[in-house]
Amino acid sequence: MIEFRTKNGNMYAWDNEVGLFIPFSHAMRGVLNKISNHNPPSREEVIWQLKNEFPEEDVEFCYDWLNKWNRIKLKKPNYPEIHDPDKGDIEKYLLKRGFTQLLLGVTEDCNLRCKYCIYSDFYKHSRGYSEKYMNFFTAKKAIDNYFSLLEMGKRFNPLRRPTIGFYGGEPLLNFKLIEKCVNYIEQNYYKTMFVMTTNGCLLDEEKAKWLMKHDFMIIVSLDGPEQEHNRNRIYANGRGTFKDIMKNIRPIMKADYKKIYSLPVYDWRTDILKQEEFFNLKDIPQTMAVSQVSDYAGSEYYDQFTEEDRVAHFSKIEEGKIQYYQNLDHHRFKEKNTPFDALFGTAPGNELFGSISIFHSDPIRPFTSACIPGTKIFVDVDGIYHLCERVPYSFPIGNVDEGLNLDKIIKLIINYNKAMNKCEECKVSRKCNFCYQMFMTDCTISNSSEVCNEIETLRKNSFSSAFSIAEKFPDFIENSNPRHMNIKKYR
Amino acid sequence: MYFRLNPECYLIKGRKLGAIFDLIDGTTYALDHGETELINNCENNIQIDKDNDTLKELKCIRLGNFYDNKIYVPKLKVGSPFVKDDPLVPLYPPEIHRAFLEINNSCDRECWYCGYHGVKRSLGCMGCNKWENNDEPLGIERWREAINELEDLDCREIIITGGDLALAWDKTVEILNHAVGRFRQIYLIMHQESLSSEKMDHLEDKATLIVQTERPDSTKSNHLRYLVVVKSNEHKSKIKEDNTIYDYIIAEENSISKEHPLTSKKKLSGVNMFKFLSHVEYHPCLGHSLTICNNGDVTPCPMMRNHCFGNIRDKPLYSIFEDSWERINQFWKLNLDRIEKCTGCEFRYSCSDCRALEERLTGKIDGKALCNYNPREGIWT
Repeated sequence: MIEFRTKNGNMYAWDNEVGLFIPFSHAMRGVLNKISNHNPPSREEVIWQLKNEFPEEDVEFCYDWLNKWNRIKLKKPNYPEIHDPDKGDIEKYLLKRGFTQLLLGVTEDCNLRCKYCIYSDFYKHSRGYSEKYMNFFTAKKAIDNYFSLLEMGKRFNPLRRPTIGFYGGEPLLNFKLIEKCVNYIEQNYYKTMFVMTTNGCLLDEEKAKWLMKHDFMIIVSLDGPEQEHNRNRIYANGRGTFKDIMKNIRPIMKADYKKIYSLPVYDWRTDILKQEEFFNLKDIPQTMAVSQVSDYAGSEYYDQFTEEDRVAHFSKIEEGKIQYYQNLDHHRFKEKNTPFDALFGTAPGNELFGSISIFHSDPIRPFTSACIPGTKIFVDVDGIYHLCERVPYSFPIGNVDEGLNLDKIIKLIINYNKAMNKCEECKVSRKCNFCYQMFMTDCTISNSSEVCNEIETLRKNSFSSAFSIAEKFPDFIENSNPRHMNIKKYR
Repeated sequence: MYFRLNPECYLIKGRKLGAIFDLIDGTTYALDHGETELINNCENNIQIDKDNDTLKELKCIRLGNFYDNKIYVPKLKVGSPFVKDDPLVPLYPPEIHRAFLEINNSCDRECWYCGYHGVKRSLGCMGCNKWENNDEPLGIERWREAINELEDLDCREIIITGGDLALAWDKTVEILNHAVGRFRQIYLIMHQESLSSEKMDHLEDKATLIVQTERPDSTKSNHLRYLVVVKSNEHKSKIKEDNTIYDYIIAEENSISKEHPLTSKKKLSGVNMFKFLSHVEYHPCLGHSLTICNNGDVTPCPMMRNHCFGNIRDKPLYSIFEDSWERINQFWKLNLDRIEKCTGCEFRYSCSDCRALEERLTGKIDGKALCNYNPREGIWT
């Protein structure tokens, strides 16, 4: 178990064996230490051994309750052992839960040179920019393969809906291809969800109308008010992009189109308070999610910041959190999501409820949140399949001609699992939200013992923060979990 | 000073009273009005007096503890995180826990309690029935394919029923043999008079046999499970015991006695964490369940044949989910919070409920007739 305290001094523990939090105390720690041994002493012996440290009543309670708690742990042979996957395992998984999205990287070109872009020089293991464009021949093969997989998978998961995303670089640079793809799908296949992440600079009225007509989910990279946004999101000549984006999204907002979202990013110099104020404005699309600029394997982005920057940033985070919870009623009932909802509103609920409890993890992918490759299929301009758009190109999983290559997928999973050399002992493994992106370098997978150095400390802090909020605002935290609504009726 | 229930102990409040459910010990503690208010205040982090006898007793029986400060106690949960409605998060496959396969509709008997006569039964789904239905039954090949489809959908258990399965024994055996090894559990329902030692030998190790009978004294074999049909005015003390479950025939609703297990406290089952937490979202019986009728109709339950999701005669099973998922899910999620009387009852997650029977008795899908508890007053009448 991993112990932590809240600001109020309350003690809790995360029981990683079952994926649940419990109230904790010094007495409980004392008893736990005694009964965790290979030959645990009897109840009377434990009480006797701890009689000088804790009140007998507390020791008795902790002993009885910990033994009761242990009964929820699933015993062998009720769960399968961890093992290397075979083709049958992969096929079965993907047919049931894979093929969630086909993401077409329609170009590696971009009209911007955003300073934090994962294709910039700060990220040495990612590809750089190029002037490559996907052609329709490649795209069509990828689309046909995808729908063929969905067709095979229908009897295993009839509820799965096709989702096709368009990615770049800047996807609107290859708008003609996107038009062709959508027309092809609409003529030959069935209702599909279309998604596009765009920098918004080329989103003129004509393209916007077309995207709305085809019911696209439009995700615009918009970082905040002009000064904030233009600090990092610039054209190659250094000019800011804010005014062009605002001009382009205005007609979409005026048309009251619901499926447009902002995707702001922040780093240690972002004024998150101004960012929040900006996204509260009526004519700014609601926030889908907010991310900190990536600091994963091989990144040099944060080398430019000072310790003062870091301290100032976290101080602003604290200020933002206080502000958020002081105005909780406003945030509960406002019309749209803003960055603070993602940063502070949903984070505690995710921390408290967002892990698999009791049941054991997937035996072929027991650690981290890494997906089974093929769950999403990212296709680069040359028609090579990758497990997602955020990992180096050194780990392909197939191509448009041969489809998904199960041998490559198996090899990738085996190598990944081998690299997770710290996870078995990790006390927060059930909470892990790391995936391939955190570990993959140019052509290797880093060990978790190298990457996850301070992970338990970081998670402890996160637990402490979440529980501090939960202690003060339990209703708000529990309202984020719809399963609680029925339970809390009449209370 | 504060008092909080342990993570495994849920306080469920009704309109008037409450109950504590211990999901590890499987025990239910019904509370009176004072106790309900007290525990509710505790769970809302209102300060209490440490010398409160009720709370001291709760600590003694290890349901909760005292704390110096306000704490937050996340409750015991099972399985996956909550799933929000996010368009970028795809829907997972439907979880089918149980499927009834009604592989024939022929029978030479004229049992007075058969579905054919429109009799109201409390566990008709677990017995054999024939139905007034002239549709051509599904052939063996379609049943074999249906079994394959259910396996691909990870269905956990199947219940093979009829009609009299002995009248089409070769077909029954062929379908059963095809099913063996594909599911966690297979049940086969037969009338006692259709059994023979030869048939029972054949079924050994392949399926658990459920024997329908009117004779309670015949329930001798511990290797079999019995469904004993009982008139409602001859009620037993329970709904099930040992290897026997009782199927009560409801003549008139008003003829049911106050102590009847269908309407009294006896209808409350012991809790386990998996079932209890499932019942917070899903109906205790209809949830994750479906029936393939002899003519290929797919319904929520063998006894709810008027609610048809589609027919698999010429269509794959998965297409039923594609076309009718919203309706199927409405039945699956018709948990007792959505039932008119049960929504205000503190026992709503530990109670049994037969929607088929209740619909027959009340005329409403969310009606409730078989319950003597008045949640508004907190009294068993």
